[in-house]
Amino acid sequence: MEIIIEEISKGHKLIGRHKFSQRSVTLGRGYQSDIIIADPHVCADHLTFNFDGEHWYVTDTDSINGSFLENSKHVVKQQIVNSGDVISLGKSQIRVFFPNHPVEATATFSPFENLINIARHPATIAFSIALFAFVTGYIFYLNNGKEVTFTQLLIPAISMTLMFALWPAAISVVSHLTKHDARITSQLGICFIFFNLMWVSDVIERFVQFNVSSQWPLMWLIAIVPVGLTFCLFWFNCSIGFHTSKRRRVAVSVGLTVLLFGGSELIQLSKKPEFNPRPQYNAILMTPNFNITASSSVDEFVEDSAELFKNTTLAIDKDKD
Amino acid sequence: MKGIIALLLITISTLCNATEQAETIFKQLAPSLYQIRLIDKASGEKSSIGSGFQITRDGLIATNYHVISGYARHPNKYKIEYLDNKGKKGTLELMSVEVINDLALVKREVTEDMPFFAISDSTPSKGEELFSLGNPHDLGMIVVPGTYNGLKKESFNDRIHFTGSVNSGMSGGPVVNAQTEVVGINVATSGNQIGFLVPHDKLVKLFNAYKISPPTSIDEQMLAQLTQNQEKLISTLLNSEWQLKQLGEGLIPTVNVPFIRCWGDSNADKADALILTAVANCTLEENTFLSSHFFTGFLEMEFRYMQAKELSDTKFYTLYEQQIKRAGPANKARKEDVTEFQCQHDVVKPTLNGIKNKAIFCTRAYKDFSGLFDILYLAASIDKNDKALLSHFTVAGVTQDSAMAFTKKFMESVTWK
Repeated sequence: MEIIIEEISKGHKLIGRHKFSQRSVTLGRGYQSDIIIADPHVCADHLTFNFDGEHWYVTDTDSINGSFLENSKHVVKQQIVNSGDVISLGKSQIRVFFPNHPVEATATFSPFENLINIARHPATIAFSIALFAFVTGYIFYLNNGKEVTFTQLLIPAISMTLMFALWPAAISVVSHLTKHDARITSQLGICFIFFNLMWVSDVIERFVQFNVSSQWPLMWLIAIVPVGLTFCLFWFNCSIGFHTSKRRRVAVSVGLTVLLFGGSELIQLSKKPEFNPRPQYNAILMTPNFNITASSSVDEFVEDSAELFKNTTLAIDKDKD
Repeated sequence: MKGIIALLLITISTLCNATEQAETIFKQLAPSLYQIRLIDKASGEKSSIGSGFQITRDGLIATNYHVISGYARHPNKYKIEYLDNKGKKGTLELMSVEVINDLALVKREVTEDMPFFAISDSTPSKGEELFSLGNPHDLGMIVVPGTYNGLKKESFNDRIHFTGSVNSGMSGGPVVNAQTEVVGINVATSGNQIGFLVPHDKLVKLFNAYKISPPTSIDEQMLAQLTQNQEKLISTLLNSEWQLKQLGEGLIPTVNVPFIRCWGDSNADKADALILTAVANCTLEENTFLSSHFFTGFLEMEFRYMQAKELSDTKFYTLYEQQIKRAGPANKARKEDVTEFQCQHDVVKPTLNGIKNKAIFCTRAYKDFSGLFDILYLAASIDKNDKALLSHFTVAGVTQDSAMAFTKKFMESVTWK
């Protein structure tokens, strides 16, 4: 029976794969071995596999550092090998398979694969990066109280864009380091599409906050849009960069989202003074054509304020506790 | 010639006589003039000093509220002491306060009847010479001569304008006429020979009320005074004429009362400004001192007209938003005094006039004076693309009813031309 021997890393990632049809296979540092392992802790003649017609046996050929099957503490001596067994020798590891070893079901293309294909198209990437840079420059222009020239806007636009490009680049580096495809173009494309979606969600949030009164009960719905978008971005990052199970991908994305928003929330909390003498209010203003809701009357507004008097009075007792 | 010399001699001698008289009287009264010290119990050192004067033979002493405010707010942290002209010290007990007019009555123990200051029955006449007395340092009594200049016109609560250099340690000291009758109490200085005094009738009122029934709790007494004062202030304002004045293309209200004064400014001289801005600011130029970290009784109204000069609407509104982002209260207060602000906002259009505002209303409650609040209101017009009118007021230490009535009146008074 044929035997397949895989050289694997400590993290069980594949380094090399060999298939043999002979009845005996030798492993070692020596050049006469069938599989040559360049590990100084492995002997020239370290390990032998033999086939007796029915089973494959593994034997340590009196090596100095020994060979161990799975996690056992005993040096292997004429032991039956099962498909999928991992053997440690020196600081290296090998894994043994037989041709009849079952394989996982074929991974289907995710429905988002199409989107990713569009995202990594050079035209899409160029467009979304340009759009991002334009919006950044425009926001800088809007917030500047003085007259600004085009070149003055270029610097913040380009530097912000470069800064935001660091994230997809970092993910690509990590996936490359973990023996996955870097897929930098897909990462760039997806990230900038999402960064632009964040601008859109910003505008929507401002629009809603501008139009509704503080009495509107669904404000939290608007506040979670950016959280949702961030989760989706991380999910795409994971699915492009790493082959993992669905559950793991969701868990990692949730973790990163919580880290990002929870972290910034924590920082804000830690900066918050014990007592803030200034009021915190919604000061969002947009041009008149964005105002679509009906206005309240003065009486309604003044009556609504009764609630505030009640709440601050209640806050007195809360502060005393 | 002889006649003239004789006349001169007589005049000089009478003048000397008058001064001598005053001197003897002041000497007599010196034991009734004290330095009032607030002693921090933990460190045993004085944390503030002022002056005070005895007004009854059994040891009742009048001083400024702000001299003993530390004790009134934190009776466990401080004690009040007096230092008399002989250098003798003793403890004082706080009997009654009047925070609006910055007065307090404290009492020392006396073994026998003592001389005391008589309070005048009448107001001085303009130009009359007065003597401000105090015991600011450990030097004993100081006498500062000055002139009575009538009541300060712009004040909501009466103050005497006194020309003479009142310095800070003299706070709480009496101001007497040539007959050594108290006509006022030193309270504040505006530098350069301008001093302000609390008129004697405020002290008479406090003293009479004390004689009838001394207050049971200083905090409750203060609350009643603050509540009464804000009611007086807000109802005076609401019952006064609100004149509409033009600010750019907006119409803003100015209340026609002398104690609210308005100032204006604009950036019309700055050619490179992107937005033409004109500001009008009207304030009540006095406030009520509760402690060195807590002031109330203040009112401020601010209006800002803005017009874009060759600017896109979006940029105009972005810069406009930056203007309204960081409004704060005008009065100082700390965590132990007030809660944090709570706010609401809405798009509001008064039915009578044609301005559409984003209105923001914030309030915080007073912890020790229940029923009193600080209010901050801010409205930004959102119905013109290249023009904006910002209307804003803050008012400190008002009841809910006063706040709501004032807010309503204010909101309905701002409009476009």
